[in-house]
Amino acid sequence: MESKNEKRKSQWLRSNQGIGVIMTVMFTGLFIYIQLTPWAHRRLRDKFTLGFFPTLAVALMIFFSLILIFDSRRREIPPRLEKLTVSGFLSAVLAVVVSWGYFAFMSEIGFLIATPAFLLLAMYALGLKPWRHVIIVALLLTVIVYAIFALMGIELPLGKLSGMIPF
Amino acid sequence: MFEGMFQPEAIVEAFHMVLSLKVLYWLVVGVVIGVGVGAMPGLTAATGVAIMVPLTFTMNTASALGLLIGLYKGAVYGGSISAISFSTPGTPEAAATVYDGYKLMQQGKGRKAILMALYASITGDTLSDLITIGVAPALALIALKFGPTERFWLVVLACTLLGTLSGAHPAKGMFSAALGIFLATIGTDPVGLVQRMTFGIWWLADGINLIPLMIGIFAISGMVEGAVELLRERGITKKAKESISAALLRGGPGLTFREYIRAWKEMLIGLFVGSFAGMLPGLGATVGAFLSYSVAKQVFPKKKIGTGVLEGVAAAESGNNATVGPTLIPLLAFGIPGSSTAALIGGALMIQGATPSPRMFELYPAVVYSLFMILLAGNVVNLGVGRVLGGLYSRLGRLPREILIPLIFMMAIIGSYSYQGNKYDVVVMLAFGLIGYGMRAVRIPDAPLVITFLITPMMEANLRRALLINRGDWLEALFHSPLAIGLCIACFALSFLAIRLEVSKRLSMAK
Repeated sequence: MESKNEKRKSQWLRSNQGIGVIMTVMFTGLFIYIQLTPWAHRRLRDKFTLGFFPTLAVALMIFFSLILIFDSRRREIPPRLEKLTVSGFLSAVLAVVVSWGYFAFMSEIGFLIATPAFLLLAMYALGLKPWRHVIIVALLLTVIVYAIFALMGIELPLGKLSGMIPF
Repeated sequence: MFEGMFQPEAIVEAFHMVLSLKVLYWLVVGVVIGVGVGAMPGLTAATGVAIMVPLTFTMNTASALGLLIGLYKGAVYGGSISAISFSTPGTPEAAATVYDGYKLMQQGKGRKAILMALYASITGDTLSDLITIGVAPALALIALKFGPTERFWLVVLACTLLGTLSGAHPAKGMFSAALGIFLATIGTDPVGLVQRMTFGIWWLADGINLIPLMIGIFAISGMVEGAVELLRERGITKKAKESISAALLRGGPGLTFREYIRAWKEMLIGLFVGSFAGMLPGLGATVGAFLSYSVAKQVFPKKKIGTGVLEGVAAAESGNNATVGPTLIPLLAFGIPGSSTAALIGGALMIQGATPSPRMFELYPAVVYSLFMILLAGNVVNLGVGRVLGGLYSRLGRLPREILIPLIFMMAIIGSYSYQGNKYDVVVMLAFGLIGYGMRAVRIPDAPLVITFLITPMMEANLRRALLINRGDWLEALFHSPLAIGLCIACFALSFLAIRLEVSKRLSMAK
């Protein structure tokens, strides 16, 4: 019984109504935050309040979120959201974090070392096999992309290899 | 007034800008990449253009336009290759091509179908470019007569259209448009240059940069989604690949001139429906293709469109490519992009210092004329590339997503970083990648967000200019002319009609 209730609750959260409620709460918080900041009420020389457009935009977002709660399609569940699992969401966050890690790594040790490592890791994690192919593709793509950027006159960070590459 | 708009010396200057090997080179590169992007399922024209925009800052204006417009045209056509070859549209725009294209492939007429897609795309594209060249200056003339009040209402009307027509749910479309307005207010206000909505973060003082936002929304969000799907459905993908290999083994006879000419009525339908869909903010190439296809199917029931006939491919392909030029009309005439890709091209023009506005023809006539020339030249290049490399592209669809996704991630990261050398641009890009992924999951369309983000400073500046002119009188500032009142009524009437007639739901069902 309890698991049935939990399932129903999870289904409701994925419906337009659930999405509407979450968005209404989030953007009402933002609306209050804007109203509490001093700049929002500041009048400029043209008699325009600095917070007019941000307030208007957030008010509109709350209004359209409320429509999602009450309109005739409130029980519809977006198909992609229906399929989304916690592990799926975490994979999405992980993909973004790993990408940031790649960028931070690249800034430190340079494009030519960080990129093959990133491509190798990402392609293998996504299921490309065997290892031999993964290594060849990762190295090849790094060299091709570096060459394209060099031809376009865009400098990529070289990190520790700086000064060792002639172009 | 017209004399001011038509500047022969600007046309000569535009010829000088365009007629160079460098521009031709980037145009060919753009089309070659574009057709490849289109042929690879999972990548769209917007993804390709978003990745390439930051790379254009080292180029001159004509080369940058050559690369991006070539890519756009190529990608819209390229989608048909995988749609016909293995029933998987390379881009959403090519989804309507699957119905007849894949059936022709199964009948052993795959080559015929791909050639019809190419010729119909080029026909629709070229003729719609001529419409663009004729209509954009005329609309720009009208736009010049608008004051700040009318311009404000015009932007509001565009936001309303975008919101109500994009996506399957008008409230979600409108939410996306409102989010775009909100994001555009972060940073420094466009008139008083005072900081607002920075949440105490110093690097937000200059606001959110358009380029990382667009790369995040259009490229990263799709790749995040692709990565999640790949991790979940690895087995299914492998099965699909096997069927692709089998389908590609089939070739077949080429297209005769008579077969091409026989589909002229369908191409004409595609031309007009596609051009209309392109001009109206919020509709775009996918709607253009599906509308053309359904109109042709209803008008010519005897041709049995949908059962594997060349006319079905012609209607869909002419319909989607006919949106490419007209989608730039609102951008050139009013400074309002008609689609996500037009917004990206608008962003590229901003990088080049030619910010799209209603005075585009007056301020940057050579840029506008060179854009027209590149639009037309792009079709010739697209025809050549499609004809010569068609077979090769049909194999590109087999490129594993396991390679494609990390590659796009890498390109997006170095693209958004190299644009200004600012690491916070990468943070913004990745954050919007995640936001875009969330929006895809809850089915909130991304185009209204990006387009309203681009046009909100114009909306705010015009409203405040109107207020200054009318000494702070809001009523006068908003409704001082019959045109302003008319535009305001149009906003409400159109949104009421769109919601009442469930236009967005119908359009999404047609897809």
